[in-house]
Amino acid sequence: MTSSVALRAAILSALLLLIFFLVWHIATMPVASTQVVSDDYAKLVGGAAAAGQQSAFPTPADFGRKLLEAVSDPFYDNGPNDKGIGIQLGYSIWRVLLGFGAAALVAIPLGFLIGMSPLMLRALDPFIQLLKPISPLAWMPLALFVLKDSNVSAVFVIFICSVWPMLMNTAFGVSAVRKDWLDVAKTLELSPLRKALFVVLPAAAPTIMTGVRISIGIAWLVIVAAEMLVGGTGIGYFVWNEWNNLSISNILVAVLAIGLVGMLLDAIVARLQKMLTYKD
Amino acid sequence: MSIFSNPFNHKITLRSQCSCGRHQSEAEHIAAESPALSDQEDALTNRVVEQGILRALFPDDKLRRGFLKAVGTSTAMAAVASMFPMAMAKEAFAASPGKLEKTKLKVGFIPITCATPIIMAHPMGFYSKQGLDVEVVKTAGWAVVRDKALNKEYDAAHMLSPMPLAISLGAGASPQAYTMPVVENINGQAITLAMKHKDKRDPKLWKGFKFAVPFDYSMHNYLLRYYLAEYGIDPDTDVQIRVMPPPDMVANLRAGNIDGFLAPDPMNQRAVYDGVGFIHILSKEIWDGHPCCAFAASKEFVTQMPNTYGALLRSIIQATAYASKPENRKEIAAAIAPRSYLNQPVTVVEQILTGTYADGLGNVKVVPDRIDFDPFPWESFAVWILTQMQRWGQIKGEVDYQKVAKDVFLATDAARLMKEAGLTPPTSNSKSFSVMGKAFDPVDAAAYARSFKIGRVSS
Amino acid sequence: MSFLSVQKLKKTYPVRSGGETVVFDGVDFDIEKGEFVCIIGHSGCGKTTILNVLAGLESQSGGHVFMDGREVSGPSLDRGVVFQTHALMPWLSVRSNVAFAVQSRYPSLSKAEVDSHAMKFIEMVHLQAAADKRPSELSGGMKQRVGIARAFSIEPKMLLLDEPFGALDALTRGSIQDELLSIVQETGQTVFMITHDVDEAIFLADKIILMSNGPQAMIAEVVVNTLPRDRRRATLHHQPHYYPIRNHMVDFLVHRASDIASGKEARPLVPRFVSPGLTPSH
Repeated sequence: MTSSVALRAAILSALLLLIFFLVWHIATMPVASTQVVSDDYAKLVGGAAAAGQQSAFPTPADFGRKLLEAVSDPFYDNGPNDKGIGIQLGYSIWRVLLGFGAAALVAIPLGFLIGMSPLMLRALDPFIQLLKPISPLAWMPLALFVLKDSNVSAVFVIFICSVWPMLMNTAFGVSAVRKDWLDVAKTLELSPLRKALFVVLPAAAPTIMTGVRISIGIAWLVIVAAEMLVGGTGIGYFVWNEWNNLSISNILVAVLAIGLVGMLLDAIVARLQKMLTYKD
Repeated sequence: MSIFSNPFNHKITLRSQCSCGRHQSEAEHIAAESPALSDQEDALTNRVVEQGILRALFPDDKLRRGFLKAVGTSTAMAAVASMFPMAMAKEAFAASPGKLEKTKLKVGFIPITCATPIIMAHPMGFYSKQGLDVEVVKTAGWAVVRDKALNKEYDAAHMLSPMPLAISLGAGASPQAYTMPVVENINGQAITLAMKHKDKRDPKLWKGFKFAVPFDYSMHNYLLRYYLAEYGIDPDTDVQIRVMPPPDMVANLRAGNIDGFLAPDPMNQRAVYDGVGFIHILSKEIWDGHPCCAFAASKEFVTQMPNTYGALLRSIIQATAYASKPENRKEIAAAIAPRSYLNQPVTVVEQILTGTYADGLGNVKVVPDRIDFDPFPWESFAVWILTQMQRWGQIKGEVDYQKVAKDVFLATDAARLMKEAGLTPPTSNSKSFSVMGKAFDPVDAAAYARSFKIGRVSS
Repeated sequence: MSFLSVQKLKKTYPVRSGGETVVFDGVDFDIEKGEFVCIIGHSGCGKTTILNVLAGLESQSGGHVFMDGREVSGPSLDRGVVFQTHALMPWLSVRSNVAFAVQSRYPSLSKAEVDSHAMKFIEMVHLQAAADKRPSELSGGMKQRVGIARAFSIEPKMLLLDEPFGALDALTRGSIQDELLSIVQETGQTVFMITHDVDEAIFLADKIILMSNGPQAMIAEVVVNTLPRDRRRATLHHQPHYYPIRNHMVDFLVHRASDIASGKEARPLVPRFVSPGLTPSH
């Protein structure tokens, strides 16, 4: 991208953000309200209820205030039920790395095997197709029942949901290596291991990395859902806790945090992907 | 009747009053008589033991009152003390007979006001006073509490009254022997309706409504069904009853997905606070003194770690005693409102605990025992719950009510103590009570289940 | 026995409606050590298949191939291949591509030795300036030269080239042919090459195998290149043998290849060795 296109895109993005905030501000501007109940009553309820209305969606200012609050002390620890957003995110990221790491360790070698052997592909395909579409919310109760520990269950659910894209992409990448390169490997009398490591793997790497990128996205998605189900410490739990308090502002803060971390994870993998892509 | 009332006074029946009659509750009475905090707590603990033993001996209220009237209080006390090592029992209950097997405990709770004693015991030091280092862990839902309790991640947990029973029977999960030593609270729920129904207060107009309850095996479900059935609404065919996590209820009420819910507080008060709904009827107006939530532990924990269990029980009972005093309610509200615990605005929690609240229709109501804390379970409560479970088809076939209730409720703690002392424990342990004007005699529980016009049990 | 001996080579493919189609049958030829042999024929006569069989990348349906007295079955470092599409690994630099081959051939060499050996052949194709570039940064001609360097670097007993310059423009082709010829003459490499270009064949080869059209293709003739070994592009076509040989080959390609296939011309039982260069032009 030339620098002028990059600059123009940045300006356009900023403009869109501004418009978004403006629309939000206008939509949530408080309507002129009068108290319709007795003073005693008004003291006992929220402002909106005192005016005979329902409590409203938070304004950008409300959101900003909560954001500042969260960011100003992100690592406080008040016991198991109340920790700073930084700590919550840390726990979630840790679980994701564990589950996703385990998934990569299983998916890539298995994908290799499947890609190199049409027999294995045919044999394993029905299982893969059956398990692939199962939602993490369905896995969670099963995992809790069998594995019992909620942390291990959450990591397992991440594993079982993020293993498929890497598995399928690896299998596909490996099976689609250009015949030319395989012929070169043959004429150079490469051992199966050398061929796998030095020809097949680098050739399939871009496709594998695409799978990795999809998987990390899924893993991050899943952890939030899983944590909302089992609680503990984590960003998903944070969302649930604020949901209990019906504090939409805090939920928005959490949503922003989730989006940012997801973006970061994806960017890291994208950078790795770029390093392994070759022009043909 | 509060367990803290003096059992030896024949004038006391089932209402919250003190033994001399001058105070609102026994707790107040004791407060007036013995100002020191620890004395108070010890006195209350003693009452617990006395009450338990006496009830074990004289389960029939009328019989007990007759006995006391005939014999006189002091003679009665002496007589009981001669047959039963009352002092030993009190001592045993008041202090650890041995070393605590485990001091670091995890207790799960759901962030609702029913769990007040469990929660408040943490910031207000009731656990630490017994030498326990308890971590109270906020949990996402009843199913998760059940699962974590079953897999021993929690040593003990806040549960709905029917849950220990359901777990013991294996309904909804694999059976594991569960006990419910203490009932957390009585009352404390309400039916809340969406604002748009404020002119539809007559339940007969509720055909086609959608209601939400927190859990199938819950007092909420049974109370709602009972209430609806009394007005001729069949809860399975005329309305929809859905299970929903409490915070979702307020949001769904606002969105119009449900027309009302019967839920624990703070959801009802929160709906009022947000201008989304109004409180139609308090659960105490359906059945005054109904149990709601309980504090449960596995039989394994109780039998293998009796000293720890005793310490835990004591901390909860003392917390409950403290909570039953109205003047402490404000302080407690401030302690349990923060993010670590209920995570609600303080005024919402205060309104629930003090009973001075906004009802959603512009009125400020004053109902001091909107929620009350009374730790002693009644075996017949268990039996009544079982009959409702059968009535609505949640368990099938005949159940030996008495046996199961006995197994679960530790009202027979006294029985155990007696046995240890070499005495023969009594055989029956229930009392009768009435629900919405209809008498319930636990001895004829099966017939009671079949007696309803609307129900799922074939006569 | 010759260095490379191909005997009664046959290749068939099964046909969907049952039965089979014969690509070629009864292919016999020999190659001596140090010889440069080209094979020319129309598309579909199976010349690539013959090369693949020689390389060990395909197996024949009948017949044998012997090299150095041993039967050929499967690929080997003894028979290096330059592919039609360069088949360079795009994630490796030029240097690494060649070094990879060297390492496979001489696994006991140290890293420095491998590198210097590789550079020797990269210099041979005059690409040392581009040694650290990736294939995507090279032109088509440069990529082919790297392929040649890679094939030479393993110092195989025999080199097989499959229309290596087909995709290049005439000018580039010319300079690479010069390079190839000088390398081959310097190293004394035995080479088997497929080409479409008559002039290329005359420039590079000692013997030119002419194949008739398929199906049921066969070797019709083997043209002996009687031009002097010391060939220069600028002056070669002035040589007296040049046009006789060239015309002969063009005649073959234009009609004789198909005449033999259709039966208009009799199929020779054994391929004839002809030396049109020695016969005055007809």
